[in-house]
Amino acid sequence: MGKILIVDDEIDVCDFVKYFFEERNYRVFTALNSDEALTLLRREKPHIVLLDVRMAGTDGIETLKKIRNFDKKVTVIMVTAVDDHSRMEEAAKLGAARYITKPLVLENLEAVVLSHMKGIGNE
Amino acid sequence: MNKDFDAHNADYKGWFKVQDWLIDKLSRTEGALIPIQPENMKKWPKAEKDYQLFLENASRLMIRFKKPERLIKMIVNIIDEQLGITHTAVLLYKEAGNAFILIDSKGEDGVKIPVGFIRMTFDNPLVKIFNERKNYVISENGVLVYKELSSLLANKETLAKHKDLGGLVELSLRQMDLLKANICLPLYYKKNLIGILILGDKVTKQEFTRQEIGFFMTLANDAAMAISNAQLIQNLQERIEEIKDLYTKEHHVFIHTAVALAAAIDARDPYTHGHTERVTGYCMSVAGELDGIPEAKAYRNFKETLHIAALLHDVGKIGIPDAILNKKAKLTKKEFEKIKEHPTIGAAILTPIKELGDVVKEIKYHQERYDGKGYPEGLKGNQIPLIARIIAVCDTFDAITSDRPYRKRKMTKVAIQELHDGTGSQFDPIAVSAFLLAFEKGKISNKK
Repeated sequence: MGKILIVDDEIDVCDFVKYFFEERNYRVFTALNSDEALTLLRREKPHIVLLDVRMAGTDGIETLKKIRNFDKKVTVIMVTAVDDHSRMEEAAKLGAARYITKPLVLENLEAVVLSHMKGIGNE
Repeated sequence: MNKDFDAHNADYKGWFKVQDWLIDKLSRTEGALIPIQPENMKKWPKAEKDYQLFLENASRLMIRFKKPERLIKMIVNIIDEQLGITHTAVLLYKEAGNAFILIDSKGEDGVKIPVGFIRMTFDNPLVKIFNERKNYVISENGVLVYKELSSLLANKETLAKHKDLGGLVELSLRQMDLLKANICLPLYYKKNLIGILILGDKVTKQEFTRQEIGFFMTLANDAAMAISNAQLIQNLQERIEEIKDLYTKEHHVFIHTAVALAAAIDARDPYTHGHTERVTGYCMSVAGELDGIPEAKAYRNFKETLHIAALLHDVGKIGIPDAILNKKAKLTKKEFEKIKEHPTIGAAILTPIKELGDVVKEIKYHQERYDGKGYPEGLKGNQIPLIARIIAVCDTFDAITSDRPYRKRKMTKVAIQELHDGTGSQFDPIAVSAFLLAFEKGKISNKK
């Protein structure tokens, strides 16, 4: 079963995306901040991390750096607002697989995750 | 005043109070509840009159909101509070991004779509159906109901007749799956799709009845109308703000130009250096004492007109030769006649400037005397406009307390006495008493 880690400081987003992917038969973990994300990453070893860029405290880019400190491979998909696009170059350098822009088209969210899961070959 | 008009106004004020209260409540607690009938909460209305009551309550609330986003929050709130639906969401068309954005949502955790999280573009099947109004076959009344779409997809006969439809129906069902939507309703304003209302399942898991769907259509129509109105008001307010900004900017330029012009006049005459600035200062202090009197209120903008008139009252001195203006000896009669032209010259200079329409006559008459012995026209009493009468007092006070080419300045005490003595003859008693009031309050400062 594919495992997804959702990192977003908005609990509504975590809940919604969690149920959304659970309905599609993934195992989903949610983290409201950078520390929770790193703990879950070590413990649950998800295949894909959906990482919000704009978070209070340690933001998405900083969290990505921390993730890369001990996991060079995990697929990270950044979730950005339109105004954060300038930071995506930095995210790409840190090995983010791609980014999707909020507000997002739901089909795209599903398709992006699906395509990366296939690439991982865990489905 | 018309009695009915007053009654109407009072009523209107009452509405405003209620609205303010609601807005306050909503803004203080994000997503606050508005219990309309607490006993009915989370109960699906059963009788026709319950729907009627809900709709009446809802539309009555809707017209009180002037901000579209707040209005939508309220609509989502009352649906969620009173109708027992798993989740409710409203998307609104936003020009920036050319898409429908989720503005507000309520409902069960995980089912509720997060605010600002999703958008629907024009290739979204629901938007397509609503926007292109292909719904005459898919849904005769413009509403998309999951159950109806499913049975349509099973109806091979209809699909055979409309070959392009099958794909769209399938995509729509899939879209409603993604959104966990049971009913989707378009919000139209003048045939334009301005938004979409999304409703989940009934908490009781029962299907919606025809009657209930009809009820939501009415609700959606009311909501669309209210949202459009709120948007129009918001656009209008933004436009008004823009115009105000523009006016303020132009106005600053205008005042600065007047100040610069006044400085230029002062600079020509070393003896009256600072005169305009001081007179303007006195005038504004006097204005503070006269603000409420009817004659002041009759001006479109009393203080501002006085400010500009005071700044420009001596602008006509541009037309007086230096030899006369700076002469140390006593002026000859002919020279004095020339000096007396300055109010008329000033008025003539400023007349072509449309924006100074209110100011011109004040400048023209600032050398008139209350007893009619002044110049240029010998106007008397209230024939002389109020601002000109004020400038006359302040102008004279500064002249007495300043050095002149032909004499030394006098004490303030002496100047005040001269104002007293001139009351009713040279000066308007109202202007003098206002000046003296301001003086006693320490608002007249003539430090050179």
